[in-house]
Amino acid sequence: MNSQMTDKTPSPRVLVFACRWCALVGADAAGRGKAELPASFRLIPVECASMVEPDSVLRAFASGADGVAVMGCHLGGCRFNDANHVAVKRMEALGDLLDTVGIGRRRLLLSFGTAHEGRQFAEVLEAFFRELAPLSSLAAWQKPLLNQPSFR
Amino acid sequence: MPGVIAFLCRCCGEIEPTVDLPALRERIGREEGVAAVELRDTLCLPEDRAAILKAFEESGADRILLAACSPYGKVGNVVAKLSAACGNDRSRVRLIDIREGCAWIHRGDPAGATAKACDLMRMGLGFMRHGKQSADAVVSVRPECLVVGAGSAGLAAAGSIARAGYPVHLVERGAAGGGMVKLLSHVYPTDAGAEERLAPYLEAIAENPLITFHGKTRVAAATGYAGDFKIRLASEKGEKNLRVGTVILATGAGVWLPRGLYRYGELKEILTLMELERRQREGKAAAKRTVFIQCVGARCPERPYCATICCPSSIKNAVLLRKADPDAEVTILHRDIMTPGHILERYYRSALEAGVRFIRFAEAQPPVVLGEGRVGRVEVFDAISGLTREIEADQVILSTPLVANADNAKLAELFHLPLDGYGFFREDYPLHPLETRQAGVFICGSARWPVASGEAVTQGEGAAMKALSILGRKEISALSMSRLPEGKLGHARIEDGSCSGCGNCVAVCPYGACALQPVGGVFVSRANKMRCRACGSCTSVCPNGTVQMPEHNARAVGAMIRRAFAEGDAR
Repeated sequence: MNSQMTDKTPSPRVLVFACRWCALVGADAAGRGKAELPASFRLIPVECASMVEPDSVLRAFASGADGVAVMGCHLGGCRFNDANHVAVKRMEALGDLLDTVGIGRRRLLLSFGTAHEGRQFAEVLEAFFRELAPLSSLAAWQKPLLNQPSFR
Repeated sequence: MPGVIAFLCRCCGEIEPTVDLPALRERIGREEGVAAVELRDTLCLPEDRAAILKAFEESGADRILLAACSPYGKVGNVVAKLSAACGNDRSRVRLIDIREGCAWIHRGDPAGATAKACDLMRMGLGFMRHGKQSADAVVSVRPECLVVGAGSAGLAAAGSIARAGYPVHLVERGAAGGGMVKLLSHVYPTDAGAEERLAPYLEAIAENPLITFHGKTRVAAATGYAGDFKIRLASEKGEKNLRVGTVILATGAGVWLPRGLYRYGELKEILTLMELERRQREGKAAAKRTVFIQCVGARCPERPYCATICCPSSIKNAVLLRKADPDAEVTILHRDIMTPGHILERYYRSALEAGVRFIRFAEAQPPVVLGEGRVGRVEVFDAISGLTREIEADQVILSTPLVANADNAKLAELFHLPLDGYGFFREDYPLHPLETRQAGVFICGSARWPVASGEAVTQGEGAAMKALSILGRKEISALSMSRLPEGKLGHARIEDGSCSGCGNCVAVCPYGACALQPVGGVFVSRANKMRCRACGSCTSVCPNGTVQMPEHNARAVGAMIRRAFAEGDAR
């Protein structure tokens, strides 16, 4: 899938927050299975999806990401007493904010329990890249933001 | 100023063809604060560790960055051993996954993979600048245990703990112990009399001075943490405060009445299994023709579960009826006979030998009870022969499932425990069947799932052993309060001074670890290190960054995010 993406247009840049109990295991299995994925995503392991601050997601968009993925365990399977149920609500609310400011909630992928195996992780990420491909890059307004001294 | 020494692993050629390691070495070497970058064939072998430590000491650096395989790979074990050389500070060693997370998945794009590896390493450097380690907290253990519920499970748990030499407070809402077994005539599969079975357990609570029995008492309040729970008991006589190290919940289950099903309550001689047990105890159960109907209100949309005890209980009563009167006709109408294990399977076969008739019906075609004023016949479509049968009946026994104890909801609220969809206590997911999400609180018996008394005793003794693993220690550490072999990540820390007392963290904490406390005339939040399990929920809702996980603080994460796409800026 990525030949059409990498050859002409640069592939969208995606920051993945992966819960280490499921999505990180999925990412690891995708690596061991040698799935072929676009090299333009970066992964930050977190202890639980509920640890991801909405602020971090906004910061990621401001730092050059075209898309952000928050990946946690399936609802009802959280290690931390259903902490991810609250995380889902929080991230859905963040989607409203993204719509309001013009980034759009399509650029925020919420995956709960859909990426805990290697093949699934690869499929979820590939689908997200396909979703982002037709959207324009956010780089135009990220540059001035990034150059602000307060942000550096 | 001491800096970072970075080690890049070739992984014997697994990484190199895709990621350009010499270029990576050169670019990382230029980063601020990097004292040296070493390239090695492997990092995970025992001899590598010595070489890493030697280079680390010679470089004068104080932190180590490893770029190798994923933490689930072989090098994952190396991190713990290296952090020992950094003063046992895990925040000073960081592993970057450039094999599974980079080289192996971007083989078609070497330039992109190298840029990614470079970004990942910079993210690691940024993180290490701010990453810290939580200070451990140690609390002394109150060597006493609270057991809630004096049924089979609770009696067994209390007995085990008292025999190990620790005081037990056994709380029971009824006047005496015995639980649901007291309502039975006999106990399967041994068919021992219920009183005979309970006697040794009840004797133990009467005779062992370490067991204090609190009858007609409920738990009114619970605070504290593993090692030191503060409990308030309420009874007619008044309130009583306790401090205990561990809590075992053995609240058992409740019975369910099949109102509106199979004309229960309308016709005479339609009984539930529990009502039959009472008649058995009183010696009034005899009837010429008895029909049992299984799965009444169980394995249906409202209660999709199998309560596990009803098939063996019906079999027990059917055989008892046949033994009391060899001419009695006993039929069990069932959807499936659930008798797992060699003992219960033998029990089922003994019923066949005793002349109990089994007829299978389908869920879609349940039996119909016929009669006026009292039971006359039961009409059932035999799913195996395909024939409709009419069975004369003097009494019909409805096998109803056990349902959750109504008190569970209150206890779950007090101890911050999750219940499952049917009101039973949920075990700690996964693979910790007697433990709960709250460290130091254990569950056993029908409080967690319907079980027979033998199984409840097994679980009660198991829960007692779990509790003893805390009670047996003089003190316990907060970082050990985790099921994980590597311990807990850390715990939330609330900075004094900047907390505005908004209570967001209190609302979101799944463990009840955060609580508002008055300090100097205002309310501020405090995080309990023993209760905290390091999920980080509180950190993501704090409006002013007051709550932080030192291991995953906002500055460290922000430093990672800022560096995530630095190399890819060429586009």
